Amino acid sequence: MSLLRAQRLSKSFGEVRAVDGVSFEVRAGELYGLLGPNGAGKTTTLSMIAGLLRPDAGEVVVDGTPFSADPQRAKRIMGVVPQELAVYEELSARENLEFWGRIAGLAPRAARARADELLAALALTDRAREPVKTYSGGMKRRVNLGCALLHRPRLLLLDEPTVGIDPQARLNILEFIRGLQRDGTAILYTTHYLEEAETLCQRVGIIDHGRLLAEGTLAELQQRLGGDRLFILEGELGGAKPEAWPRFAERFQVLQLTDRQLIVAARDTRDPADCLRDLLDLPVRVENVTLKRPSLNDVFLQLTGRDLRE
Amino acid sequence: MNLLRTLLAKDLRRTARNPLPWLIHLAMPLVITALIGLAFGRGAGDGAGLGRIRFALVDEDDSPLTQFLRGGLNQGEGGKYLEPVFLNRATALAQLNDDQLSAVVVIPKHFTGDYLSGRGPVTLELIKNPARSIHPAVLEELLGALVTGLNALARNLPSELPAWREVFARGADYRQVADLIVRTGEKIETVRRYLDPPLITYTKEVKPREDAGSGAGGPGPALNLFGYLLAGLATMFLLFQANIGINDLYGEFAGRTFERYHTLHQRLLPFLVAKGVFVVVMLLLCAAIMLAGGGLLFGIHWQHPLPVALLVLGFAAFGAGFAALFAALVPDARRADALSNLVAMALGLAGGCAFPPQSLPVFLREHITALLPTAWLAEGIRELEFGGVPVNWPMILLRLLAVAGVLLGLATWQFRRRFARGVRP
Repeated sequence: MSLLRAQRLSKSFGEVRAVDGVSFEVRAGELYGLLGPNGAGKTTTLSMIAGLLRPDAGEVVVDGTPFSADPQRAKRIMGVVPQELAVYEELSARENLEFWGRIAGLAPRAARARADELLAALALTDRAREPVKTYSGGMKRRVNLGCALLHRPRLLLLDEPTVGIDPQARLNILEFIRGLQRDGTAILYTTHYLEEAETLCQRVGIIDHGRLLAEGTLAELQQRLGGDRLFILEGELGGAKPEAWPRFAERFQVLQLTDRQLIVAARDTRDPADCLRDLLDLPVRVENVTLKRPSLNDVFLQLTGRDLRE
Repeated sequence: MNLLRTLLAKDLRRTARNPLPWLIHLAMPLVITALIGLAFGRGAGDGAGLGRIRFALVDEDDSPLTQFLRGGLNQGEGGKYLEPVFLNRATALAQLNDDQLSAVVVIPKHFTGDYLSGRGPVTLELIKNPARSIHPAVLEELLGALVTGLNALARNLPSELPAWREVFARGADYRQVADLIVRTGEKIETVRRYLDPPLITYTKEVKPREDAGSGAGGPGPALNLFGYLLAGLATMFLLFQANIGINDLYGEFAGRTFERYHTLHQRLLPFLVAKGVFVVVMLLLCAAIMLAGGGLLFGIHWQHPLPVALLVLGFAAFGAGFAALFAALVPDARRADALSNLVAMALGLAGGCAFPPQSLPVFLREHITALLPTAWLAEGIRELEFGGVPVNWPMILLRLLAVAGVLLGLATWQFRRRFARGVRP
């Protein structure tokens, strides 16, 4: 059952179409990743879902009810973690958590108890009474995350929650998010980090220039590139013209071609050794060939012609 | 209500953690009040007005006429306001340099001869103390009136003045002098109504107090110039302070905490009301500092503290709404700050905060001023404290609160539009 359904969401800022007909759904207990480069429309999509932005077109349905029909009900179901640190730096972690708990409608005692729980879960108990401004980046991120969890939301919207922190702090946060998902929270997770989407999310939607280009599980997305076979040829490829090579287009799909590298996906299910033989017979000087399983970056490459890391 | 309390407690806690900006804001009215005190010199210790003007009179002519003028200075009403000391020029200038005098008035040599011969207009020399503002200015006005009066007298006594000159120069028997006095007296009597200033008089009708316990009517105390000025300046200054106070709203917007609140609550009004209440609390503190501090500095006895406090409360609410609307309309904090201060100044000036409303241009005075909340507060306080007529201050308070509510409502509506359109600071 879907807890969140975004239907043909669109939003323009002047001439710029930030989001263009984006549709997807997040099921109860599912961790759905929205992957795309900066400026792809992830935050705008999330803001529309959170009720911060009014969509130009389309609809958001939360737990079976259109958001516009009962915004306050939808907001009670959701917890939103913005990309920026939306906390009061003069206050301590405990004060921040208690405050947001009270704002979310908890009674003082309940807010205090829940804040204690979260401080422990986020490993912040030791410094709970110190002002947030004295914390490291990772700790601030954890407080930022915790502030959205006081009311135990069934749907959590996370907008790039690990931006700008060190790898260890990032691992801690990812582990915490996995725990939330295990406990049954549905999570919409936007990121431009491939590894996060690959390792964390059960399903991923790839978004670029405001359009959702593909979505599915990692395996489903890999399948778009011929299953688990991707060949990387390195050599002198400056003047190579793949479209002129006989039968090449029937058997392979070019993902990327540079002066030094050609990345192709097999179109059929032939044996990899046969594919390899075909590639070595190409009229170019090949120095090295690598066979690998396609990553989300390769999928993105195939969909956009660009590397997500660019 | 719980939500409001939570939001307000958060702001107070944050202020307690980082009090410096607000301490500076609260210190500002003290500094301004002190500056006004310094600028206007020593105020009225008795709280009833300007106090007595101490000045030196240097009589270099030393004639019967100048002796007559000297004698008149201390008589009657003059004695209440003037404190002349009779010195020679050197001593007078030395005391002036020592800041013991407000001014030195010199009656030049041959003053009597020149005057009685009608050779030209009367000339007196005034040396003002540059360290003082009000007293020398008042003295200048008084001397102007005296000179005008003496000149008018000279024009009306063309035949008598030479006779008087003869009397002063050579002496005369009592019959001649008596005859001269009678003639002069008769002429003065005929022109008296032209000579006895002011030509236009205003008599304020003081209605008997109907309700002795109302505290807002009855015969008013004497005008305290500093109290009059302070009421206007404090009104204008409170608007500036409101702009400073609302800066935190920009911080909440830029820091995304306002947005986070909106992810939990559809209604923005409680957030803005809480911010408004916070600004009102700060403005009340500022007002208390200004009015109480001003009272101490200038010897102002506030006759109606409760109505004044309630009016200030209403105005603080208006100020909060005014500043919140600016924050909603202008996303850029610095631009909004400059713009709202300009508007605040315009509202203050047009509302008669810096000048008495009577000195404003006619169109402004008759069509605009009465519509401005700045005028409602400034004039409300002035009328309450120095007007001596009953003031319908509850109605003024209601009007201020109503305008505050409308402004806050508009600010909420505009913030909602900004969120929906995705306008970010």
